[in-house]
Amino acid sequence: MSKDKSDSAEPHDQGIAESSNSGDAPKKAVKQSASKATKKTATKKPAAKKTTRKVSKKPPPPPPAPPREGRVMNVSSKPTLSASVPIAPKKIKPQYASFRSSRKSLVNPRRVRGGVKLKLKVGESPASWVTQRLLRAAETGAENAIYNDGLEYARLGQTKRLTIEDELCEGIIQGRSDKPYTTTLSLEKFSVESQEQIISAMANQVRYTAKLLASELPSNIEDVFAPLGLKLFPAEPEDIKPVCSCPDWSEEQPWCKHTVCLTSLLAEKLGDDPMAIFGLRGMPGQELIDGLRQKRAVGVQGPGPSPVLLQHVPGVSDLTSPPLEDSIEQFWELGSEIYDLDTPIEPPPVNCVLLRRLGPSPFIDAKFPLIGLMATCYQLIGEKVIEEESE
Amino acid sequence: MLFNDDAVGVASVINMPVQEADLSSMVIHANWADGALHLWCESGNSSSDLELGVSDSSESNAIVHSFACRPIGIEGKESSLILRLPSSSETPVPSAALSRVMGRDTDEDHAAVLTEFRVPSIEIDAVSAGQVLETLVEQADHNENESSVYTIGSGVRYFVAASRLASHLMAGHRVVPMLLQDAQGSLTAGWWPWLSDDKTAVRVNKLVRSMPGVARAVVDEHAHDAWSMTTEFLAGITDARCRQTMIIEDMFDTVEDADPDADPQVAWLHGLLDKTEEVPSVAGQRADIARKVRRWISELEDRGESSAWRFGLRIAEPISEGLAADIAKPDETVLWSLSFFLQSVDDEEVVLRASDIWLISRERIVIQGLTLENPQELLMAELGRASRHYKRLEDALEGSEPIEVLIDSQEAYKFLREIKPILEEQGFAVQSPPWWESPTGRLGARLRIESDPADMLGEESGDPDAAGPQLGLNTLIGYHWEIAIGDTTLTLNEFEQLAQQNAPLVRIGGKWVEIRPEDVENAVSFIGENPGGEMELGEAMQLALASDASQTGLAVTGVEATGWVASLLGGDTGGASIELPKLETPETFQGTLRPYQARGMSWMVFMERFGFGACLADDMGLGKTIQLLALMTHERIEAGDEKVGPTLLIVPMSVIGNWMKEAQKFAPSLKVMVHHGIDRLLDEEFTKKAQDCDLILTTYALAHRDNELINTVNWTRMVLDEAQFIKNPAAKQSQAVRGIKVPRRIALTGTPVENRLSELWSIMDFLNPGYLGSAGGFRKKFSLPIERHRDQNKMGKLRSMVSPFILRRVKTDPSVVSDLPEKIESKEWCALTPEQAKLYEGCVQRMLSDVDESEGIHRRGLVLAALIKLKQICNHPAQMLKDADPQFGKTIDPMRSGKCVRLLEQVSELISEGDQALVFTQFRQMGHILSTMLRHELGKDVLFLHGGTPQGKRQKMIDEFQEATGKTPILLLSLKAGGVGLNLTAATHVFHFDRWWNPAVENQATDRAYRIGQTRTVQVHKYIVRGTLEERIDEMIESKTELAENIIGHGERWLTDLGTDKLRELLTLRADTIADEH
Repeated sequence: MSKDKSDSAEPHDQGIAESSNSGDAPKKAVKQSASKATKKTATKKPAAKKTTRKVSKKPPPPPPAPPREGRVMNVSSKPTLSASVPIAPKKIKPQYASFRSSRKSLVNPRRVRGGVKLKLKVGESPASWVTQRLLRAAETGAENAIYNDGLEYARLGQTKRLTIEDELCEGIIQGRSDKPYTTTLSLEKFSVESQEQIISAMANQVRYTAKLLASELPSNIEDVFAPLGLKLFPAEPEDIKPVCSCPDWSEEQPWCKHTVCLTSLLAEKLGDDPMAIFGLRGMPGQELIDGLRQKRAVGVQGPGPSPVLLQHVPGVSDLTSPPLEDSIEQFWELGSEIYDLDTPIEPPPVNCVLLRRLGPSPFIDAKFPLIGLMATCYQLIGEKVIEEESE
Repeated sequence: MLFNDDAVGVASVINMPVQEADLSSMVIHANWADGALHLWCESGNSSSDLELGVSDSSESNAIVHSFACRPIGIEGKESSLILRLPSSSETPVPSAALSRVMGRDTDEDHAAVLTEFRVPSIEIDAVSAGQVLETLVEQADHNENESSVYTIGSGVRYFVAASRLASHLMAGHRVVPMLLQDAQGSLTAGWWPWLSDDKTAVRVNKLVRSMPGVARAVVDEHAHDAWSMTTEFLAGITDARCRQTMIIEDMFDTVEDADPDADPQVAWLHGLLDKTEEVPSVAGQRADIARKVRRWISELEDRGESSAWRFGLRIAEPISEGLAADIAKPDETVLWSLSFFLQSVDDEEVVLRASDIWLISRERIVIQGLTLENPQELLMAELGRASRHYKRLEDALEGSEPIEVLIDSQEAYKFLREIKPILEEQGFAVQSPPWWESPTGRLGARLRIESDPADMLGEESGDPDAAGPQLGLNTLIGYHWEIAIGDTTLTLNEFEQLAQQNAPLVRIGGKWVEIRPEDVENAVSFIGENPGGEMELGEAMQLALASDASQTGLAVTGVEATGWVASLLGGDTGGASIELPKLETPETFQGTLRPYQARGMSWMVFMERFGFGACLADDMGLGKTIQLLALMTHERIEAGDEKVGPTLLIVPMSVIGNWMKEAQKFAPSLKVMVHHGIDRLLDEEFTKKAQDCDLILTTYALAHRDNELINTVNWTRMVLDEAQFIKNPAAKQSQAVRGIKVPRRIALTGTPVENRLSELWSIMDFLNPGYLGSAGGFRKKFSLPIERHRDQNKMGKLRSMVSPFILRRVKTDPSVVSDLPEKIESKEWCALTPEQAKLYEGCVQRMLSDVDESEGIHRRGLVLAALIKLKQICNHPAQMLKDADPQFGKTIDPMRSGKCVRLLEQVSELISEGDQALVFTQFRQMGHILSTMLRHELGKDVLFLHGGTPQGKRQKMIDEFQEATGKTPILLLSLKAGGVGLNLTAATHVFHFDRWWNPAVENQATDRAYRIGQTRTVQVHKYIVRGTLEERIDEMIESKTELAENIIGHGERWLTDLGTDKLRELLTLRADTIADEH
């Protein structure tokens, strides 16, 4: 199922969501607009998968344009908040408190139609620990008022566009001035060496492999990273590198309203699709999965050569069998399904169907008639088996 | 290190007396290691004679397996393996199969841990692995001589199934050329089975999920992973076999002259076509080669953008103008449309046409609860993907809102024939018109058979012999072939028109059909060569029902018959669907036939009338005996004063008593003779008496021994009861039976013969000689593909060929079920074996002489003790002699007891029908004997619940039995334990192996199965040995006299008060009740 489409993705305009296209691969890029509409909970796995599935190869969509925004508008839910939200007196800021507290919103940006909105309501706790962790980082980094304004921006939908691409999370956020600001967030990349270590560490743990191959995030994933001196999700403000084009932003105090706003949206995004974090760390999820597959294959395939493509059979290839000890009770027992296994020996209805599906030789410039010769081989192999079988 | 003779514990328990190597007590196992198949055995024999040497040169600290040995008689390299196997105190625990062979209770062998053991093995190379496995299984499943074949372990069955899957994939061109790379970057090539496609994935899932632990027990770098073990095996044998074919065909010659350095394809082919896998390549190019090949092959896994929605194409015929009656002229200007849609994967009914998708400019559509994101983008992306496989779709990509492409009829044909399967495999949906690939949409030949309309079973049919001999499968019937499309026959004129058009898709009578050019050619020559005429009916049926295009060159699309042949061919459900005049219960028949039984009788009358052998294969308990007796009464009434010749009935020894009893009860008008026993009639005496009787019963053994004598009688009919007895066509008994000259043949069997092909062939060949061809031809054409590969197509053909001759009703048939009572009680009359008879008589004589000399309590004690002994002897000699104590792993020979033989027959039959049974005995000791015996003979675990079973285990057994998984279909109960409070409705059969002589107690036991929650008919079988006190007491109870009251109320006490003469009368063995041989 999985495919490496990164090459075909490269040439495209990077304006809008361009992402990998495979069935259960995590998305390198995410287009926020359509996915957010009905999402409430971040933990529903199938739902979360669906939201991230989308995409197109052609035609390359133009950079953000009004019609597109218009469409987003159609599907976005009614405003969950307005400026007249009940007010609670501002208290000293304890950890986490900001999710529950609120104050009179003083923000007054130019409103945006169809922007990306934060779903998390005032006073609500995020459903995902991932979301919580990122929000906490922003909260610690930003001043109280800035933090609250940033969240308010996010709830109002001031973010015209949000992309996660090429290890960068970028937002176009409309503030009070005419032109929107460009805000980016980046994280520390995992070095090639670390990536190897991570894959090895995960491959050793069956539960990680199984979950990740199913594009799910194992709950105690940080346990893999801690011993390597790494973090997967940012927990401290220093773990995130926010940059913004607004006048308030500076190297010394990078936490402006816009960066907070963008961080909160990213936090929520990652709550829904935690696999996207790997992309931000310079280690696209697909690479991780491929790496794991390869590692697992190497681990079980021994020192010999391994095929350049490992086959993937849903239901069996991605699951590690239970330890042999667990089958001690049925150690000698053949499953009954084997009696339903039909393996008729007959010529195919269409000859060389796999070759036909494969199309021309992968070596485009080479001269030898590979496909023709292969077709002959298939005929010979098939005939031989049928002949042997009827002997 | 040598075999450890001092092994204690389990190994010492299963040591058997040294004998010649009995292979059946050896369980053979298979494992895959280091690219080769390893075979090894567990031995139930004393191992000292067997070759066990494991030279343990490795530094591994695996323990040498104490009862494993190297298989005998299999060629291969001597080797050894390290496996992790269940063990108990560092000693291997026998496998389930070995436990069963040894008759051990698997509960005794409790393994808590896995330990590494070294086993000696024979190594088979990857090319021959499949064939060797196949041969092992074949021999085990088809060899009559049990002791000459290995008992097959589950690992062998696993790998043989995997090997068949590999063959299936190779035959269907489902392998891919693979490129492999090792850690240093060197490249190799190999042929790999392609497993990711949907249908294959389903098979692979079934396979891997069935894997027994033992198949992945090898200690290697796979860490016992089921998937990698399976794929390595599949890849290993696939590559070996493909490569072998390449070598045989000298395919390497094709690339020999090309330069691998100049063309990476050539390098790759070097590794695929040569003996070695190596791909000669320059180090700098390897990464690029690997990447390209990986990309290329991964195309096969590309399932598109969305896993919830798939792109589809719908091909539609041009809208026809008017209703053309004739063959329409092809109009090249008329175009077919290929329109696009998106379809939900979860609910294929949910389809969005492209034309609608372009109207909805929304990013997200919810339709019937299913969400579709960005439909327009998905449509375009998937259209792009599809166009890689079908270039014509590229035209559509030019437009802004494509909804379809238009193609001409030649192109439409190409699309349907070649492109559709590829697109479907690649995960697209293709909707084609209903006529495409339907048998009614293709040119083929139809066979038309003409036979005289017959008056079926009209009352006036008079002499039943009249129709018999002339008809049958050898009857010549008139036939001719017609060219047809589906049901529509073409005239010559029409056909010629067709042939001239030279178009693959044409419209005939308003309907589109596929005309393959080769079909037209074949049809022309076929009709030329087969002008029609006469042929034998059997041949015609074979042609019409089971031929394939390879024989005729043209698909045989059907058969049409008139007259009686039409009745025979009936429908596709076989004997059950023939329309028959319904005959009533014959007057002289004592009893009333249930409606399905009357139908069964009518069917046999019909089949015999037209000279066909018939197999009545009703489920056990539906009354096959009664139907045959009714048939015989019926024909005698029909014949009036005329004498109807005798019927020879061949039965297994164990049911002779039953037949006699039933014949007396239901058809007292029939003169019955039993040809059996030492005092049986011989010479002319026999011939004369037989000719005068109606029904002569004999056994399979005597049918062989007295064959000449039997052939002196002018038989009207021969009937085989338990016809599966002749399942081995080569056996002398089968040949003897087939050699008996007789015009009418009937086979009775309760086992579903259609599933057991060797049986099916034997029975059909007995009934209708030659119809299924030679045994060898049948095996090649049907048995192998069906048994090995579960070939549904072949199964379907075979079924349609045999179904006219088989009438099988099962208890659950709606037509039968309404006729059945909730409970059917029957007595099973068994015989004593000579050993039992001798013991029985000895015991009676001793007792009679002892009681003469004693009085009072002492006398009573003697009588009671003797009674218990007699009952034990009736059960099994071993119960009294205690000469085969199952608790010490001894096997029990069922042939020593008439009851045991019968029990095994009935139990095997009901298990094959998927039923479960309770077996009650009074004696716990007998329970142990039966449990050992059944486990050994049936190869299934047997539950035994007795007074000493702890409560916890009791409940576990009951739950296991009630789950009815088919693993433990038999529950043995001692009557005391099975008394009250148990609910065992998963059983539909109840056996009372010995009698309690108290109907109330027995009924209470029976009620375990027959109680609330039971939805099916329960059959109760009460075992009685003829001629013994069991029969005498049964008679007394049935007489309902005062004495009967006594018996019922007080058990056996009354017997002890009887005088010696009375005792003698009661207990002495009656003659003619002993089985003399088997």
